[in-house]
Amino acid sequence: MEVKILSARFDIENANRIDVARQHGAYQTLDTLFAMEQADVIETVKASGLRGRGGAGFPTGVKWGFLPKDTGKPVYLAVNADESEPATFKDRYILVRDPHALIEGIIICSYAIGCHDSYIYIRGEYTSQVKILQQAIDEAYAEGYLGDRVAGRNFRLDVTVHRGAGAYVCGEETALLESIEGKKGQPRSKPPFPAVVGLFGCPTIINNVQSIASLPFIITNGADAYKAYGTEKSCGTHLFGISGHVEKPGMYELPLGLPLAEVIETVAGGVWKGRRLKGVIPGGSSTPVLTPDEVATVTLDYESMAAHKTMFGSGGIVVLDETVDMVKLVENLIAFYHHESCGQCTPCREGLGWMLKIVRRLLAGEGTVADIKLLRELCDNIEMKTVCVLSAACTMPVRSYLDKFRDEFEAYAIDGAPEQTELREG
Amino acid sequence: MAEMVKLFVNGQEVEVEAGKNLIDALQVVGIEIPHFCYHPALGADGNCRMCLVGIEDGRPPLVPACKTPAQPGMKVLLEDEKIKKIQRDIMELELINHPVDCPVCDQAGECTLQDYYMSYSQQDSRMNVEQVHKDKRLDFGCGVVHDQERCVLCARCVRFTRQITKTGELGIVNRSDQARVTIFPGRPLANRYALNIVDICPVGAMTSKDFRFRQRVWFLQKDPGICHGCSTGCNIYIDHHREKYGDDVIYRFRARTNLQVNGYFICDAGRLSYKTENENRQDRTLVDGVEVPLERGIEAALDKLNRARKPLMLVSPDSTLEQLWAIKRIATLYGAVLSGYSDAYVLAGDGDDYLISDDKAANRAGLQLLDIDSGKESFAAALADADLLVNFNNDLFFSPGNEDLQEALEATDQVSVCSHDRPAFSRATVILPCASYSEYGGSIVNRNNVLQRFARAVCRDADPCDIIEITRLLGGAISDNARAWPGLRQSVPALSRIWPERIPVEGVTLNSSEETHVGA
Amino acid sequence: MSDRSQLLATGKSFAFDAETDAEFERLAARYPIRESMIMPALWLAQQQQGWISAETIEYVAERVGTYPAKVFELATFYTMYHLRPVGTYHICVCRTLSCYLRDKQEIVDFLADEAGIRPGQVSDDGRFSLEEVECLGHCGSAPVVQINGEFYEDMNVEKLRALLTTLA
Repeated sequence: MEVKILSARFDIENANRIDVARQHGAYQTLDTLFAMEQADVIETVKASGLRGRGGAGFPTGVKWGFLPKDTGKPVYLAVNADESEPATFKDRYILVRDPHALIEGIIICSYAIGCHDSYIYIRGEYTSQVKILQQAIDEAYAEGYLGDRVAGRNFRLDVTVHRGAGAYVCGEETALLESIEGKKGQPRSKPPFPAVVGLFGCPTIINNVQSIASLPFIITNGADAYKAYGTEKSCGTHLFGISGHVEKPGMYELPLGLPLAEVIETVAGGVWKGRRLKGVIPGGSSTPVLTPDEVATVTLDYESMAAHKTMFGSGGIVVLDETVDMVKLVENLIAFYHHESCGQCTPCREGLGWMLKIVRRLLAGEGTVADIKLLRELCDNIEMKTVCVLSAACTMPVRSYLDKFRDEFEAYAIDGAPEQTELREG
Repeated sequence: MAEMVKLFVNGQEVEVEAGKNLIDALQVVGIEIPHFCYHPALGADGNCRMCLVGIEDGRPPLVPACKTPAQPGMKVLLEDEKIKKIQRDIMELELINHPVDCPVCDQAGECTLQDYYMSYSQQDSRMNVEQVHKDKRLDFGCGVVHDQERCVLCARCVRFTRQITKTGELGIVNRSDQARVTIFPGRPLANRYALNIVDICPVGAMTSKDFRFRQRVWFLQKDPGICHGCSTGCNIYIDHHREKYGDDVIYRFRARTNLQVNGYFICDAGRLSYKTENENRQDRTLVDGVEVPLERGIEAALDKLNRARKPLMLVSPDSTLEQLWAIKRIATLYGAVLSGYSDAYVLAGDGDDYLISDDKAANRAGLQLLDIDSGKESFAAALADADLLVNFNNDLFFSPGNEDLQEALEATDQVSVCSHDRPAFSRATVILPCASYSEYGGSIVNRNNVLQRFARAVCRDADPCDIIEITRLLGGAISDNARAWPGLRQSVPALSRIWPERIPVEGVTLNSSEETHVGA
Repeated sequence: MSDRSQLLATGKSFAFDAETDAEFERLAARYPIRESMIMPALWLAQQQQGWISAETIEYVAERVGTYPAKVFELATFYTMYHLRPVGTYHICVCRTLSCYLRDKQEIVDFLADEAGIRPGQVSDDGRFSLEEVECLGHCGSAPVVQINGEFYEDMNVEKLRALLTTLA
């Protein structure tokens, strides 16, 4: 099932070093690239069907097309390497194992959109990773792939790494821009959209690491070669991170469109310890949970996920076995979003803390059925009333657990805190 | 004229200014959109979410009104069950961690949370878990006291210090429901406008040390006035109250919006100058140091005036146009030299490039309009020559610099018509108390030639006379403000077409020529 | 998050050393506005001093040319800036989702009960400090522990016990 497009150099030793990467094809797209018109690059990316791999899945080429022409202002590219959505760890592989694919992708995108200053916003926790990335950038400068004359062409491109410092919300693209501008990472109201008013008030494109790293393949092999993978509307491949209760957790590159159940079974070795499946979080913690019945019918693409009332998200798949206490899991999730709320908008700032305390009240055996109802209602009251979707990233999954595993919440409310579940091991 | 557009609110067509945000645009036609964080001086922040309105067929269908410009044909939904529910929900979330300590909160009675609770919420609390606790009674400096628990994190105060004063003392630290407004340790508020923060805070989070716990705001009578602290002429509210068995006392001044003069704010010195109206007042009539009824004092003054060979009259640069005119008239009557000498009112270098003027006189432009000589040399010469000085409330010792006049002043018999007990007046053999600016009405012209009118706000028990009344008692022909205007119109070209009752609330800018006319 | 607004002052002024200063100026040239340097400057300061004191914030504000209150905002908003001194070994245990599912609690309990290292605290000998952090992006090799920036994957109590003994 696995394919090697993005991950082609992942298993090559020292592929993070430029000489090794070059031996295996890095930077070989640039001759093709600079022979193309900028507009043709954008068209090719549009035709490839590449969609933003950060979680929202917006078509990458279309996004580039939103840039206003001839504003007289610089155009910026901000690369989103803030990978912080729980269960997501795919971009890290690119940053560490093939950073030159990212840099090559940045050159491609920058050429296409007329950008000369790109910033990579990398989450602060990626401490060893940022060193490898910076080393790769330094090498690319030394070898003439970055700097005043990219690959000998009359094209300047500077790439600067900006380190985050522990704030999930900075993965939201306007919060990311605020953070680069030296502010708290608090998302901006839209409109205006970043393509029009972005970094330092200038037109800006923000793309996820994986989206950018997908570009060299598309430019080298053409849109059709990329579209050969995946489904009609969900083209190409994706780095899926499979974690939780499986025998072989890890990162796997797969074409889009595969059946989730089969992937869990054959790629990830199935539910661990011979246990039964209780549910699957399909695309990072903010995507609504799927029940075993739903898992049986869903495929790994944007459309099927939407049809199952969840989201493709970041491709971070979490398998939950039968021992999982869904109320405790929900407490873990709300605690995360509460901790990460930027504190700007009233509903998210005040509401997530309230939700967390209600769940904790249930867990302490002090909750009532009315608390469950209130929790469910708060999901509705908070969601989509805020500047960004951080609160919705909490309420959407929480609502799914409340609806699909209601009895577990009610058990806490009616019977109080139960003894430790028997199946749970020490 | 601004371009107007027609749009619909709850299906009703309204005409509003194009491009203005919906909160401001609809407010003009009497439609309130609730909001905490938006402030016209500070712009839209969009954090409170209270102003979310529906836009029929809109993409997105729910928008913050503060960030949404009025556009033709727009269908705004306010009286919609969905929108009302959102307002209720936001209010609930604003209140879950709020202490609801209204009985001990100074803001009670003028609190947006209270008002909106009545208008948009009225629901019982469902909060059955521990509230978030934060710090209280934080002294932020400049007389501003902060309560983090009452705060709704609208960031108006933070934006004020960054956008208006550009001093940046405040910030919101932490995130999530731990977010709180604070100062950097050891760096309190240090700007001359800090108390505006108390005004713009929509809730009881920012209170004034000066005003705290002194009066319930619903007892206050809030009358419009004009600050007399300097020549800027900032518009204020004079908040005063007569306690049972007590006198009419001013408790505070607050900024009153006038985009032509002061915008939305006033300086702290002006704000606190209300104290001067309450304190150290000259309420007794004195003749040779002995208290007498006003009539006796007037008789004594008349006697001196009638006997004086070379009387000199000194006016205050704070006096209104009407008062100046009345004084000018009796100066003519008594053949007195008239001076407006008032260099002491100018504190060179004290002003800034915002609201604070060097010149602490409220109506210096009025002196000039009435062609009253304000030179020091001519005043000194006249003083040396005079056998009587009638000082109409001009504090010659407002600031140092007139020590050289001391000798001549001591050598001259003086009548003081004064509102306050100050050294400049105390040497007079006849002291006649007069009203201060919160106790009379009139017209003044500010540093930018804006003519503004204000009305009497306060009626203290002592009820001192307006200077105009004193001039009448001294034989003048002007008995009230209205009777001053025919003369002012006739003799002052810039005022020739001014009818005071038609001066708009934001004032009128006087042109140097005769072209100014208000409702002529 | 817990309140981070109570800054510690050292009573001594802070300044970049020559090497850090050079790095600061090198990075500053990369941004069109000076304020972009607040976060990099805080990182550099933390690298130099190990944590961010009240004096550090004042220094960064001065170097960047902004209000101390604004740097204060950022230092408290971004949780990786240490506003207290940490141990020689600062241990971060991921508490979120996949690490939670794969028993990160056993690791936290081990550290607290056996090693005497409790979340938010520095051990008495100053060697260790522990912080439970949100998702570290190593979900496929959960549970994960990060010590002084180095990641230790597929962690369990036995491995951690062995690891701690190697940390002098």
